[in-house]
Amino acid sequence: MWIQPRQQLLEVWRAMARSAVPAGGWSWGGRHGRNSISDAEQLLCLLGPATEIPSFKLDQPDETADDVLDALAELGDSVEIPRLLVRRLTEYFSTYTDDSKTPVFSGGTYFAAASQVPPTAAQRALDVVDSFSVAIRLSLATIGFTRVFRTVVRRPDLVSEVDALESMASRRLSAAMVGLLRSFSVDVFDVGSPEGQALLETVNQQGLPTRQVVESLHRELRQVKAGVRDITLGSGQVTDIDNDNKLFQCGWSWGLVANAPKVDTTADVGEQRDGVAQSAPYLYFTVVALDCIRNLFSERTRLLGLLDEEQNRLSRSLQLRWDLTQSYWSKVGRFGSGRWPLEDLPWRTVDKVDSDYLSLLVTSIVVQDLTRGQPTESEVQRVGEVLAELAQRARITRRPLFNDPALALHSPGFRLALEGTEAAGGERLHWLVADFSPLLLKQTVLVAQLLRHIELRGQVVTLADRTWEHLRARRFTSGQYLHLWDQTPGAAADQDVQLPSWYYTERVVESLIAAAGLVGTAPLRSQALAGYATDLLAEADHLFDQELLSVSAEAGPAMSAALHGARSTLRRAHELMGNRPGTAAVLAAEVLRELDRLAAARQKATGPA
Amino acid sequence: MLIFATSDKGGTGRSVTSSNLLYRRALKGGDTAYLDFDFGSPTAPAIFEINDAVWGIKGGGLHSFLLGEVAEPRALDVWYESDRDALRGQPAGAGRLVLYPGDVGGGEFPSDDVIVERCTKLLMRMVEEYEFCLVDLSAGRSYAIDMVLAATADPKLAAVPCRWLVFHRWTRQHIIAAADLVFGDRGILDTGTVRGHDRERLSNAIRFVRTAVVDPNSAELAGLRAAQVAWLRDCNAALQRLAGRHRIGRTATLGSVPLDPVLQWREQLISDDDVALTQIANRATAEAFDGLAERLVDDAAWEGL
Repeated sequence: MWIQPRQQLLEVWRAMARSAVPAGGWSWGGRHGRNSISDAEQLLCLLGPATEIPSFKLDQPDETADDVLDALAELGDSVEIPRLLVRRLTEYFSTYTDDSKTPVFSGGTYFAAASQVPPTAAQRALDVVDSFSVAIRLSLATIGFTRVFRTVVRRPDLVSEVDALESMASRRLSAAMVGLLRSFSVDVFDVGSPEGQALLETVNQQGLPTRQVVESLHRELRQVKAGVRDITLGSGQVTDIDNDNKLFQCGWSWGLVANAPKVDTTADVGEQRDGVAQSAPYLYFTVVALDCIRNLFSERTRLLGLLDEEQNRLSRSLQLRWDLTQSYWSKVGRFGSGRWPLEDLPWRTVDKVDSDYLSLLVTSIVVQDLTRGQPTESEVQRVGEVLAELAQRARITRRPLFNDPALALHSPGFRLALEGTEAAGGERLHWLVADFSPLLLKQTVLVAQLLRHIELRGQVVTLADRTWEHLRARRFTSGQYLHLWDQTPGAAADQDVQLPSWYYTERVVESLIAAAGLVGTAPLRSQALAGYATDLLAEADHLFDQELLSVSAEAGPAMSAALHGARSTLRRAHELMGNRPGTAAVLAAEVLRELDRLAAARQKATGPA
Repeated sequence: MLIFATSDKGGTGRSVTSSNLLYRRALKGGDTAYLDFDFGSPTAPAIFEINDAVWGIKGGGLHSFLLGEVAEPRALDVWYESDRDALRGQPAGAGRLVLYPGDVGGGEFPSDDVIVERCTKLLMRMVEEYEFCLVDLSAGRSYAIDMVLAATADPKLAAVPCRWLVFHRWTRQHIIAAADLVFGDRGILDTGTVRGHDRERLSNAIRFVRTAVVDPNSAELAGLRAAQVAWLRDCNAALQRLAGRHRIGRTATLGSVPLDPVLQWREQLISDDDVALTQIANRATAEAFDGLAERLVDDAAWEGL
């Protein structure tokens, strides 16, 4: 793999530290200005690697790695950096808490206007699933960080600062979980409705009669339906799902669903605001929510005990929705026995929007589902091929045409109309998502990790490398924000564009963390190589034994040193046979050559045997 | 400000590092004094290259003063008394650099109340006269440590900022010994508490300095084989963890001084000429001393966690 995750992540950190210096250590904002999502993304660029990759940790100043300190030198030393993080995190959590102590999850400047009319203040204040999601990741990272950092802090004022930070993070975490429970949506429609027809069109890849498709769809989704009936908390409670004449889809809307019931909880989450969002799943927000909910029951969260009792209860409710949604989309995406609906690019939603970006989103859910089970090699391979084709279609691995419409996927991005925003006054707002390339890279890396076949993995890794090349080309190449993202190719060089996008940078960092996970695994063991190494080692062992049989103990220091070296090398080769047959083979070959030198010399003296 | 320099064992480079530290401080302005309390083996005159006093002076040194034999300890102004050309003559903008040597054949002696009283008076006078006063104590648990802990616990010295530097080499044995000297039984904290210091405050005033550190990433090690560097890096990481476990990790460290041939072969002050003109010393070494001299007075570096 040409991507070097550690070096690249350090480069991002160095770039962040460098960009913050003129502003006196930290500057909020970025291309889209400050809002609850962008600020959290900025913090996660630092805190993400620090909590996910052990060698990047910052919570124990005595053990911070030297190259990490070197990268962040502009921000301070090993003691100052965690203190800076504590201060900035505290600032973040208090900025996005209103006067009534209710955490704020507004989309703010990330809301895009559809026309010239700017969003109203009430619209900007609307809560968004993106913010719930980033809050869960940031809060979990913060709590994990403070738990460790507090053990090394002795000064009473600092201890209370760290404690206050942890309780703020915990409150925001509970509030975000409640928010997600109230943004979940199950959308039920008739088979004959336009939505029903669109869904059937997507899943019916083999041209079967409608009745047959509906029946098998019901059969496939039986368990999901049973689970949906169990939903008793927050939004997404439906009654008419059992009707055979109905179809449904589930997932997350863009924000709090209109008329979402309040969640009864003992956690201190402040006021539970009323929602306005359309009660229908949006693929983008569904993926965002699925991604963060996974963190709630990850190994790290459980081992460190990051959740309290009430949060564990909320987390179980979210896990139920996670399971249902995950398996719904994975089943629909891979429906039928022939070509998967997912392979029929681009993906089309029930409201007849189609885009390669939507295909990538469904792929990412399928990839997540595959990592849960024991997928067959061919299933993973098919997903890998979808990713490869998406990369071509998005002109990541192919040169774009002149004025190529496919480039709109990268800039300005895929546009989502947020139905319901007009209820807060003003026009209907949009949400722009431009993270196609980092998302593709992350999925590619995850697929590579699932593949056991060396050649197939090689192909997917090559795709990851080429996607990374594309991403690298989009970094700033000069100025204060050197090496941060995102310099859109051909964009006007005005002041606004020259600011870094934390939205984009954080997603790249996330994909690099995934890449670090791939590099961290043991190399694949090739059967052919193992067989070759075994044979080679057997010959080396045997020749070595023969050599010992012929050489007497008085052969002199040079000889005994050579034989001693050969013995050590052979022993090392045997040790490595299990996991690294290639290395073992090379060591055996080294011994064979050494032994042959002796044999050849002897032959010169005595003539051919 | 009073600075007390001590070390876990002999041969850690305590005296030579302290001297260089004080020399850098003097160059930055501010009058400085070096009090050689290393009663066993005075080395400071050799480092400052005052040849008349290389083995200590005959009578009138700090020993004689503390034992009440003389009323005034001898003071040697390095800018005038040094036999090294580079040190002679006070550089423009520099403060005074004065050495108070020990006596020839001095040696350790147990302290009593009268001696402690004399010590307190001496330190009070020093603080009045000099901005920085560095007291070079001997290695390990010693009477000298006990004496200055008793003196600094005196209410008369309560308002004077005191900082402790514990020098140790960057090896397993030294790390454990240095931690033991401070945190162990009858260590500095124990002794200080007995003498009336607040344990927490005293602990916050102690920082460690690593000496003769081989930095596995430095350019000076370009001659090593890759396998040696790989091994060295792992050893270094293991030492970091060990130091962290013994509470003398990075947080408790004021700085480290790299291994330098000049300091290895001859304990001396490293002047800027040694680095820039003759290039016998490594730039990193001079920078390390300079950094230490800066952090010594930087309150943020002493704030801790």
